[in-house]
Amino acid sequence: MANQGHAVENHWKGGVSPFGVSYGKMMMWFFLISDAFTFSSLLAAYGFMRHKFGDLWPNPGNVFTHFPFYEGHLPLAYVGLMTFILIMSSVTMVLAVEAGHRNDRKGVTVWMAATIVGGAAFVGSQAWEWYHFIEGTAEGAKRLVLQDGKWVETVFHGANLTYNEYGLPVFADFFFFITGFHGTHVFSGVVLNVIIFINVLNGTYEKRGHYEMVEKVGLYWHFVDLVWVFVFTFFYLL
Amino acid sequence: MSEFHDDYPSYELLAHHSEEAGKQKRKKLWMVFWIMLGITLAELYIGMNAEQWGLQSAGKSGLTLKGIFITLTLVKAAYIVLSFMHLGDETRFFRYTVLVPFCVFVLYLVALVDLSEGTYSRDGRYEMEHNVTTQDHTTRSHEGGSHEGGAHDAGKHEGGEHHKE
Repeated sequence: MANQGHAVENHWKGGVSPFGVSYGKMMMWFFLISDAFTFSSLLAAYGFMRHKFGDLWPNPGNVFTHFPFYEGHLPLAYVGLMTFILIMSSVTMVLAVEAGHRNDRKGVTVWMAATIVGGAAFVGSQAWEWYHFIEGTAEGAKRLVLQDGKWVETVFHGANLTYNEYGLPVFADFFFFITGFHGTHVFSGVVLNVIIFINVLNGTYEKRGHYEMVEKVGLYWHFVDLVWVFVFTFFYLL
Repeated sequence: MSEFHDDYPSYELLAHHSEEAGKQKRKKLWMVFWIMLGITLAELYIGMNAEQWGLQSAGKSGLTLKGIFITLTLVKAAYIVLSFMHLGDETRFFRYTVLVPFCVFVLYLVALVDLSEGTYSRDGRYEMEHNVTTQDHTTRSHEGGSHEGGAHDAGKHEGGEHHKE
């Protein structure tokens, strides 16, 4: 009992990391909660608009139908591939963290490299998706434009923040903002992973005696995967 | 500061595990991967066949389909957070510290922004487009809604002429 009292007193004096979680990991968790708030707000705003314009909302199955080296109509296949790439890179990341817990430098190197490749592949896929959404179809959609005081019918292709060939412009706005914000997160995640990877190669963490930094960027990387799971559902599936 | 650290292990001791324990953990992680992959493939399969199964019509998902997708998404999210992010291995109170404030906030957003305000503005939009107000619709038609409707039609006609010029 005396020992317990001593421990409790130490808690109140500070200097002890609460919950048995190290400082850096806990702060990463708190940052991720705040980041999750941001993404939740974006997705809630998306849900609001979609609920409001439910009858006019474009069918994502008619918008995202492209697949590399395939000319036909393939809805969901490409985004399914992107999801697979991101889940796979999440698994390689968690394997890097596990190797770090065994101080296995070679294991961390291999799995971190695989994670970086997966992340880069995902960012590239997203760029490809954006390209096709912005370019649009060959047919395009009709639009009235005021030219010299007259309404002239013109054809426009693809989508930007003002016009959307596939339907409501707000659909394109949310697509660009939410997948763009997520893509920025993936990109910065890849950059962080590269920095940590270089440190692993230099033996920084081996000298330090632990691979906590790998675990911290791993948390960020899994969070990016977590957000994509929700974007995938609310943008492509529903 | 060192006096406070006497009975608390540092990061190295907390996080490290042996070769055998690592084998067990890897097995579990690959298991989670196959579960996640299975769920994603199931989602894609359901999404591609929803129209044929009558869960979706003209690209509009029914309530059943939405329920299925959101449930599967939450299962995947739970696996990522609890297994990949190791939140399941942290202490119970840390788990609550992370999850409870977030879930309260999200429930608030979904209930008030999406369902309550979203429905309100959707109905408001419908009323504006059809020039009706649900609440005093009956009184208006009683007072002579035809006059108002006529004024609205005239306005539309003028707009049409402007387009043709």
